[in-house]
Formats: sequence, structure tokens, C-alpha cells
Amino acid sequence: MLSRVVMYSQTLPPIRAAAVVLLFVSTSLSADEGAPDFSKEVLPILSNKCFVCHGPDAEEDELRLDSFGGATVDLGGYQAIDPESPKDSELVFRIHDKEDPMPPEKAEGRLTDSERDILSRWVKSGGEYSKHWAFVAPEKKSRNIDTAVESKLKVEGHDFAPQADKPTLARRAALILTGLPPEMDQLKRYLANDSPGAYEQLLDELLSSSRFGEHQARYWLDAVRYGDTHGLHLDNRRGIFPYRDWVVKAFNENLPFDDFITWQLAGDLLPEPTLEQLTATGYVRMNPTTSEGGAIPAEFQAKNNFDRVENLGTVFLGMTLNCVRCHTHKYDPIVHQEYYELLAFFNSTAESPMDGNAYVYAPVLEVPGSLQGWKEWESLEKERDAILVELDRAIKDGQLEPGLLSYAEKTLGWKTENWKVTKDLPFKKEQAEEKDWKDIPNAGALGKDRFGNRSVAKHISFTLSLDQDQTLLYKSNAEFSSSFSNQKLALLPSGKGPQKVSGKLRGIDGKIKAKFEILNPWEAVAKQKKWSAASELERVIMAGDPYAKVFPLDLQKKAAALSKKLIRAHSEFSTTLIAKDLTTRRETRILDRGEYSTPIGEALEPGVFAVMNPFPADAPKNRLGLAQWLTSPDHPLVTRVLVNRIWQSVFGEALVRSPEDFGLQGQQATHPDLLDFLAVDFREKGWDYKQLIKEIVMSRTFQQDSAWRSDIPNDSGNRKLARGPGFRLDAEVIRDTGLWASGLLESKMGGEGVKPYQPEGLWVALAHPGSNTKNYEPDTDDRVNQRSLYVYWKRTSPHPMMTLFDAPSREVSCVRRSRGNTPLQSLGLLNEPQRMTMARTYAANLISSAKKDKERLKIIFEMVTCRPPTAAEEKACLTLLKQAVERYTSSPGDASSLTKQQDSSPELAGWTQVVNTILASDSAILLY
Amino acid sequence: MKPFDPFHQYDLAQTRRQLFGRAALGLGTAAMAHLLQGEEKSKLDLNGGLHHRATAKRVIYLFMSGGPSHHDLWDYKPKMKAMFGKDLPEEVRDGQRITGMTSKQDTLPVCPSKYEFSKYDNNEDGIWISELLPHTATVAKELCVINSTFTEAINHDPAITYIQTGSQIPGRPSMGAWLSYGLGNMNENLPGYVVMHAKSKHAEQSLFGRLWGSGFMPSEHEGVLLRSEGDPVLYLGNPEGLSRSDRRNQLDALSALNRAQHERLANPEILSRIKQHEMAYRMQSSVPELMDLSEEKDSIFKLYGEAAKEPGSFAACCLNARRLVERGVRNVQIFHRGWDAHGNLPGEHESQCKDIDQGCAALIKDLKDRGMLDDTLVVWGGEFGRTAYCQGKLTDKTYGRDHHPRCFTTWMAGGGVKPGITYGKTDDYGYNIAHPDGTPMKPIPDKGKWTPGTVHIHDLNATILHLLGIDHKKLTHRYQGRDFRLTDVHGHVVKDLVG
Repeated sequence: MLSRVVMYSQTLPPIRAAAVVLLFVSTSLSADEGAPDFSKEVLPILSNKCFVCHGPDAEEDELRLDSFGGATVDLGGYQAIDPESPKDSELVFRIHDKEDPMPPEKAEGRLTDSERDILSRWVKSGGEYSKHWAFVAPEKKSRNIDTAVESKLKVEGHDFAPQADKPTLARRAALILTGLPPEMDQLKRYLANDSPGAYEQLLDELLSSSRFGEHQARYWLDAVRYGDTHGLHLDNRRGIFPYRDWVVKAFNENLPFDDFITWQLAGDLLPEPTLEQLTATGYVRMNPTTSEGGAIPAEFQAKNNFDRVENLGTVFLGMTLNCVRCHTHKYDPIVHQEYYELLAFFNSTAESPMDGNAYVYAPVLEVPGSLQGWKEWESLEKERDAILVELDRAIKDGQLEPGLLSYAEKTLGWKTENWKVTKDLPFKKEQAEEKDWKDIPNAGALGKDRFGNRSVAKHISFTLSLDQDQTLLYKSNAEFSSSFSNQKLALLPSGKGPQKVSGKLRGIDGKIKAKFEILNPWEAVAKQKKWSAASELERVIMAGDPYAKVFPLDLQKKAAALSKKLIRAHSEFSTTLIAKDLTTRRETRILDRGEYSTPIGEALEPGVFAVMNPFPADAPKNRLGLAQWLTSPDHPLVTRVLVNRIWQSVFGEALVRSPEDFGLQGQQATHPDLLDFLAVDFREKGWDYKQLIKEIVMSRTFQQDSAWRSDIPNDSGNRKLARGPGFRLDAEVIRDTGLWASGLLESKMGGEGVKPYQPEGLWVALAHPGSNTKNYEPDTDDRVNQRSLYVYWKRTSPHPMMTLFDAPSREVSCVRRSRGNTPLQSLGLLNEPQRMTMARTYAANLISSAKKDKERLKIIFEMVTCRPPTAAEEKACLTLLKQAVERYTSSPGDASSLTKQQDSSPELAGWTQVVNTILASDSAILLY
Repeated sequence: MKPFDPFHQYDLAQTRRQLFGRAALGLGTAAMAHLLQGEEKSKLDLNGGLHHRATAKRVIYLFMSGGPSHHDLWDYKPKMKAMFGKDLPEEVRDGQRITGMTSKQDTLPVCPSKYEFSKYDNNEDGIWISELLPHTATVAKELCVINSTFTEAINHDPAITYIQTGSQIPGRPSMGAWLSYGLGNMNENLPGYVVMHAKSKHAEQSLFGRLWGSGFMPSEHEGVLLRSEGDPVLYLGNPEGLSRSDRRNQLDALSALNRAQHERLANPEILSRIKQHEMAYRMQSSVPELMDLSEEKDSIFKLYGEAAKEPGSFAACCLNARRLVERGVRNVQIFHRGWDAHGNLPGEHESQCKDIDQGCAALIKDLKDRGMLDDTLVVWGGEFGRTAYCQGKLTDKTYGRDHHPRCFTTWMAGGGVKPGITYGKTDDYGYNIAHPDGTPMKPIPDKGKWTPGTVHIHDLNATILHLLGIDHKKLTHRYQGRDFRLTDVHGHVVKDLVG
């Protein structure tokens, strides 16, 4: 059968139609002997060697080799491919022509002999085209993971490696799923359990641990370039950590991945979006931004959108779209206009293109400020919604509204006077002195003074005058302490008459203005004269207001109790950046050569790539519709791209080794059937992330011993999957394992990025003097030992122990970290102060938990490697211990210096050295 | 079947890795690719170059962050005096976009430099250099001064990212990372690419890790910071109470543990890590030795100035740079901030020039004295120039200048560049690149096609690579299915600059 050309739409401009032709030329390949596989063998050659000039972005009158139609065009009595007489095809002639070869002498990519052979055989067998594999929706061809791997092994006469032993498997599974070794009791239970279901039981425990989400979230945060700063120029603080916490939560709750995608792209466009759905839209706001003096808004409106489109390309499509910004793709069938149609989905978001260097870069939303906060909030929200229903019913049944309104009107008479504020005083100072105070006109004037940092505080004072007992609240953007409350949002003293109110606001890092507002929960109702004008929180507070006496007493008491809890929860909320659309769309046009100043052509409708599945017919032309397109069952790429990265997180290497590029220039999957099986299975089972990753770690493929095999040489990259995974652990896992083993790991989840120790001067050496991330002030509380995913991520200078072990800067998407092996890593492992703290703490723990050195060694090995030390390991450690103890016995001063303890025992110092060494060893820092 | 040999396996793995762009220390990736393609030439023939014979074996890049004023330092425009305070003629600006900082000014008054210029030996006409750079002027005949460098970026972050990584948007490897990737390292005990931050009283721009970062390349190509406070290299020093012999014992134990692990896994990476631990141990002595200036003679401090004794000063960084290249480090970069003179240009530039002037001159003289200037390339420049018109209030004593991308001055010395030439010309306002007769080039030069007499930042980078024996079109790294280059799809080696 000859090719079938599908034209998509007659209304398309010619340039687009031309590109569409190419990949919609489909065909059934002839089964002739010797005909190469077009998609696997031929297309990569065409793409690599020919498309630079003869591809989708070819000059107008240039021969096109990216479609059958193009290749068979009459060139004046001859054709590049002559379907009637394939052997006379010009293409075959020219690639062999010594005088005037193709590609020409001066081309960067010349053909090899085997490539010439493949092209010749292809043309001679008819020169037919088919679609690039990644643009054809996947189909299940394998029954499961192991059959797909095994069938390939069998072809080459190999078999799986033997199964790894139980301790190794336990460590491996725990590290893969949770980023930490198994807990000791968990390990012991598993080792003692001889039942066939023991391993699965262990996996289920690990999958339900909250550490699972913390570990899995990291890969996502790399991909979406999550950071705690804006990333450009001043690189100021950005308040978006609730997004990070939400990602952890979503993984832990196993939110179906299609929802996970939809909420992030378009949570705000869902009907009555929840706080979570809105928080998720932080994805849309994750692009680096600037407010550099002199920057031109239109330029950054374009750049911000480029960044979003290109991130979407990498994260969901596995496509490199950067080049389509300026011109039609050289290799992949994506035309210039389509890039801007995709961009149009993002071009109408409401935020200013310039971030104002502000932490609160509107639009923002207040949401729980930690994962514990989210948890509490969810149960409170349920209580709140229940009581709101009751209140509504009570109002309707009891005709309460007139009473409500008349009380509301009475609440408007309060006033404040005699505002005073102090200059910044040391935070520890309890009382301000007379000379520290100055008068200000009102609360709003507080913000004229900017806070320096958390080590200072401002005292404030004012007189509150009420003409009746009534309920008022205050709200502050800083930590507030006073005789009546230490929350950011709380009730004010409510007695009739004038009373002095005073308290202390703690400074905030960065140039942030102090704010203190007084809120009357009745105000909205009083002004708009209806109950529903008030927010949910206000309604509960009003109902609980003891002075209003509108609701029945039992309901009032219940509401009062709940309002206290709600106020406390709200006082711990933080702002987070969210997406919101303008009411009127911004116009989107093609930008010539990607220059913001040169829009060309007609205004574009949002649209997707013709080479992939069609946009769902009933989907809206906005980000929600875009999400529906991405999660359509017929999308050829999204599930493949996702499962490929999940596989990579487990095996260290992906099935498609270019996880960022599934296009014509990308690599073929090592196991195409396996990739497709996983992709389809993932979708069919409801986009169930935990199920998929469990399926992978349950497989025989995963459970193989990870030793390199002498019977399979030349497979350093484990492309055959003939051994289990083995790779150096990521920066975060290395640090977390050390904290965990030494008992330092803090269990608190989420919250503002945390700042553990880092060498002085790293930020100030780079930062603009006006930046609020100029000075690194390490945190001093237990939070410094939170898991590393919570470590503060300054995009222009991330924590050095992260970058030393290949963590990305998060300025751009990273879907594959490199794994360097450098001397600087050695210095970090052995000398970094945090690691010394781990070593000292762990050494002290070991000494107190066992008497004999060998027992102590057994404990640490079992924690870190899940097995006792071998004789050789034991000997190496005990020799080191002996040498160290001897030395510290003769130099007790050094022992104290090392352990930071007066009169330290030589034993403690010796063990500190040993622990430090073991935690740096490959048995601790490798997955195997 | 051949017996299993992990070392052989490892070598194969390395070869493969090199091909896929994961260069280990030592021979660079592209170099390996070359050898494998059977184009092996004697390394000696190439003088350390990758594609052709290198004239520069190493490079020291003195980066003036913020945009030094070509008007007040290099590009002498006496005719502007007569135009003092008058509006810049519209045809000079000719539609050039202006930053948000001066676009709202009522007028764009012409702002001649207040500084005296004197003539020094350089080309046949000599070269005019401002009184702000008296020391640098003494080495004028070594310099290849380019007055026609240009860029498109108009703000710091994009402009500095552009000149250092070839793209205005973050994500690409820095030039230093490209060199590390292409050329590898000549000293096993020191990193191949070292970055220093020199102190400045006006450190008013941001720098970014990406300027010496490895972008999408493996992180080992990232520049290593040599710091003037704390450990010179991060975490170099042992913790207090842990001596060098303690560390030796620790490393012996560590090595035994890792060998045991290697016996189990036969993973050659483990053997490689043992080597890295040993190199770290050697660095713990080689870096302090490097930083110890006590062996330097008094004459050296006379040459570099007393400031060279103050850690972190620009002069000290220059002296360190010389010591680094002497020890085989191929690529040293010094960042000096504070050149962004929007307001008080005279006050700030005087202090900035004082910071750098003697160090620049001393470095060139010192290298020359040691016979190293011939094969050491020194580059000086910023991310853009400054405007001919005044930003803010113009008086005869003080003024400010906004960012100017259309032309600025960069100089190079040594390493095979033509000494004693001045390349490129600008119009009478130092605003547009001009033909030799002084008339502005129209249309303005474009990165897409090289015009003789101009040096786009991609051309500059292409030329620097060329001097180091690298064809900028061939040094590629595949990422996202595309072969990326430092010079994107642009860049032209400006042969006129090459000796």
C-alpha cells in the first residue's frame, strides 16, 4: 500500500500544512527481506544527517526529506525517491556520489558506510515512511515487566542475575521508595519473616510511610525547577514553599497522576477550586522572574512564557521546544506557529511580568504553612463546612438575618488611637524604653520602617476604644507576641471602653514591611447587608460571637470553639504564588526569531501540536483544556515520558536514555515494549503512581543482584537490565541518611525553606547589595535537621552540599541529574561541619548503646548497610579506631577539639573518626 | 570467553562516557571522540589544542561585571566635548531601545568623559588611554584592544549570562565549563577551572552560579571557587582535632571499605572514587601551597602593589591567577563587580580602576617575565558598555551612564593574539560601531552575519576558543537531542585578532 496523506485542515496557513504532511504520511512497511525498520533505523539517520537542510525547517524551495510526499516530488525529470523505480532514486545516487556527495563535504555530519547501506536498502525497498515511534500512541505488547526484559535477554543467550539477598533488597527498596534505609525494627521484621509475602509487606509499609512522598517529590521538584527565590538578578525570596509541601502531600496521598497534572496546570479553572488545587497551580508560576531596573515588561512577558512552554515540553512531552521559539523545529515536526499557539495557553495569566522583587508576588493565596498544618486544616475544614451548613439552615429556619444585620451595624463604631511604634530593638529585649518610642498616625504607617531580620523586633502600642463589648481580630505578617496572644491572627481584647493594647512584632528576613491590621468579622455583612457576603471564617466567628446573641446558645458555643481553632490554623498560614487568568485574554502572535519586539501575523488561538493527538473536542481552550489534552488516553507521549522518569528514579538510568527528548534526535528505548507496557498500564490502572512504582520494585528485574556480570561484558550502562540497579545516591539522600543514622533527623514536614550550616560568605560574594538573599543566616532550631528537600533553594547559589553532589540549580528543568565523582566530594564527605556533627552524635550514641567495639560496629553497619560488617570491613574499622584512640590518648586536646566536648574521651574522638569514615564509604553512599 | 576484567570494563565505560559527554578528569570528551575517529595527531602538534594547534595553553579571564564605561577608559571621543549637555542627535540613537531606567528621561544629554586621555604605543597611530588606567597603559603595546565588541542584551542578568554562557536565559554551561569539557586538566592536584571573586567597594551587581556552572553538562566541569575567606576551596581543611596523619589513616580505612564493596559489586566507579579521595588528599597540601605567597619576592609585590598582600583584592587574585596557571591550571576567571555606574560614574570608576589597574598590568608583565605570556591568553572586559548620554544629572564633575549594548571595549593579550593592535571603530559618540572612516555602520551589525571590524560576543568567544585550539563549531555537547555549542549557531573567529 502506498502512503496516505492526511491534510488536517484547509484553513491552515501553508507553512503549517506543509509540516503536517510529513508525519501523517503513514504506511504499512513492506515485509521485504532487507528493508530496514524506518522508525528505528532510517529516521534517526535522516534526522541527524539530512534534516538540517531538508527537514521541517527547510528553505522554501529546498527538497524535503521529512515526508514521502516531499521526497517524491518531481525535481525535473527525476525524484529523490522514485517509487516506480526505486533503484533509480536520486537519493541513492547522491549519497554514493564521490564528486558531489550528499551530505556535502563541508557538512558537519557525514554519512558512514553502514548509514549509506541502510538508506539504500530503505529506498530500494520502496522508501516508505512511517511516524516516529514516540508520536504513535503506545500499545501493550508485553505481559509484564519481566517478560519484556527476559525476552530480550534470552535472545542474546542470557538470563536474569540471581536475586539479591534479603538485607540488600530491603535497603535497596527502602532507599528507592523513601530515600532512607529501612528502620531497624522494620528490617528485623522483614528478615525474620519467611513467608512469600514478606517482601510485598515491606514494600507496602514503605509506600505508606510519609517519607515516600518526601523522596518522590524531589524528582518532580527538579523537573518543574522549584526554588525558594525568583532566580534572576536580585534573586530575592519567593513565597511558594506551600507548593513544594503540596507536592509531597500529593505523592503521599497518591493523588491520581492525571489529577496531579490537571491541578498544577489548571487548578484555578476547576469548579470551586480547593486550597490544594489552587496551591498546585504554583507550577504555572515556577518560572524564574526578574525585576531588574531597566528590564522591559514586554520582554519578560515573552521570556516568562517561553520558559513555561519549554518546561511543559520537557516535563510532559519529552520534547525540546526551545528552538521552535525562533523557527520551525529542525528535526521534529513542530512548526513555529504551533509553539506560539501552545504559548497562548499561558499568555493570559494575571501576574505582572515583573516580580517586583517581592516575596508576595501576586496573585497569591494563603494556605497552610506546613504539612502538619495541611493535615489539621483538612479536618478543620470538614468541621467548618459542616457547621456552615448548620448555620445556613438555622438562618433560614429561624429568620435570623434581620437580627444579624442589625447587630452587624452596631459593630462599626470601634476606633483606635495613640499609635506608637519603636525602632528595631533586639528581639530578646522584653521591654522597650521611653526613648525607643515614636508616634505614628495609624497601623498602616508601621510599614514605613522595614524590618531588618529575625533578630530584631518592633514594639507597638495603641488604644482600642469600643462603645460596646464586641469581637475584633488583628492580623499581622510577622510573629506577634503580647500578653493576650502570640499568633499572627487572633482575637483582640473585647471589653467596652478605651484600653491600651501592646505587643511585639518579630522582624522578618529581607526587606519586608511590617503590617498589623485590625479586622472586624462583621464588617462585610454590615456593609453588604447579607450573611453570604462574609468569608467562611468570618461566618464561623460571627456565629460564635458571644455578644451578638443571634444564634441559639448551643450553636453559638460550638461555633466559638471552632472559630478559635480556625483562627489558630489561619494564623499559621503562609502565602503561595498561584495562577489566575485575566478576564480579557492577552493577544498572542508569533514572535519573529523569538524577539519580543517583533510580533508577526494574526492573533493566535491557543492550540496544541498537530503531530500528537487532537485537542479534545469538548475541552475549553484554556489551561484546563490543555491538561485534558495531556491526560487524554490517546496522548502518545505523556505517560511514556512519566513512566520513563519513574523507571529512571528506580534504576538510575531511564529506558529512553534521553528523558528530556523523545523526539527524532532523542534515543530509542532500550526496551521499547517495556516502556509501552508501563505507559499503558499506568493509565489503565488510573494513573496510580504508587501502584506503578510498586510493580517495578516487585519485579524480578529490580530484585536482581546488582554486581557487574563477567558473563555480560560491555554493558556498563546496564542497558540490558541484566543486573539490579546500582548508582551513587543523590545529594539529599546522602545527607538524609547521615542525619537519620545519627538520630538527628527532624521529623517535621514542610515549611519555609530551612537553612542548615553553610560556609560563610557564599551568598554575599554573589548577591546584589539590595538582595534579600545576600546574607545567609543559618537557622538554629531543630528544623536545620529536616530532610534535605526542605533545604532553602536559592537558585543562583544553592546549598554547596547539594551542588557538590550534582543537584541542579533549578533555574531550568532538570529531568536527569549527572553523577559526578570528584575530589571535592571527598572533601565534602569527610570535612563538612554538618557531617562532623552527624559523626560526633552518632559516635556518642554508639558508645552508649553497646559496650564492645565490635557490637558498635555491627549496629552502624546494620543501620547503614542492613548487614553486619565483613571480616575485612571490621578489621579496617577497628584498625582505624585503635590508631585514633592511641593518638587522642596522647593528645587529649585534639580529642576535645574534634568532639567539641571538654575532656572528651579518646574513645569518643576515635569513634567520631570511624563513623565519619563509614558514612563516607561506598557502602553508605551507593545504591546497590 | 575472556575472563572478566573490571579495569578493562571501566575503560570501555569511560570511553563510552566520554563519547556521551561525561568527560572524566584528563583528556576531554571531544578530544577522545577525535582520537576514536582516527584523526589522532600528536598531542604535541596541537600544543594542548583540541582541533588545531593552540597558541594559548591557558586563559585568564578578568571579568568586569556591571559594564565598564568604554567612554571613560578606552574609546576616546574628543568631539563629544563640544556637544556637552546637548541632546543626543536622534539619528545616532536610531531607534535603539533604551532601558526602563532612562526611557523616561526628558532628554538624553551628551556626556563627554571628564578624563584626560594620553597616547601610548600600540598600533601605528598609537592608542589613547584614559588617565584612569595609568598602569594598564604601560603595557599598551601588548594589548589587542577591541572597541567594537557588541551584544543584544541590555540588562545585567541576561547580558552577563549571554557573554558567559552564550545564551541570555539560564541553563547553558559556562565558557569555563566548555573549556574544561574540551581541554581537560593538566594538573592532577588542582582543579582545571578556578574562579575567584575580587573585592570591590561598589559590588553592586549580582553574580550567579551559572556564570561558572556546568549547565546541562556533568557537574565536574563547574568552576571551583577559590575563596579569600575560610577554606580557599570548600571543605578543604580537616576538622579541628583531625590531623593530616589522622586523615591518612581514615583514607586507608576508607579505601579498604571501598575495596570490599568493589569485591562485591565489581563496579569500577568504586575504584575511581578511591582515586578521587586520594586526589582530595593531595589537594589538601597543594592548595595551601598555592595560596602561600611567602615565597614570592619583594619585587613581585612591588609589581602587583601592596594590595596583593590583602587576600581577596583584585591584585591578589591576579597573583593567584599567575600561580595557578604556573601550576598547570588551564582556566582562571576573576570576577570584579561594581562597574554599573548609573549615577556617580567618576567616583565609582576611579575606585574601580584603582582596584584593577595595577593588577592587570602586573599580570601581563609577570607572565611576560616568565615567558608565559606567549601561551597564556589574558582577556579583560564586561557584559556591555555604557551610554554616550547622561543618566541623571550632568555636570562637569559628575554624571552617570546607562547600559549600552551596541559597542564596548574588550582587550586581550598574549596567547597568540596580535599584540599592539586596536580593532574596530565607533562613531563620534561612541554609540555605534563605525566604518574605518567613522560613519556608523548601517544596518547595525548583526550576530547572524559577521561584518569585518565588529566582534559580537559570540565572535569573541569563538576567537578565544580558537586561540585555545578549539573549533567553536566542533566543540558540541548533545542535550535534549541537539548538539549545543558555546556560540549557539553563531560566532565567527576574527582572524584579524590572531597573530
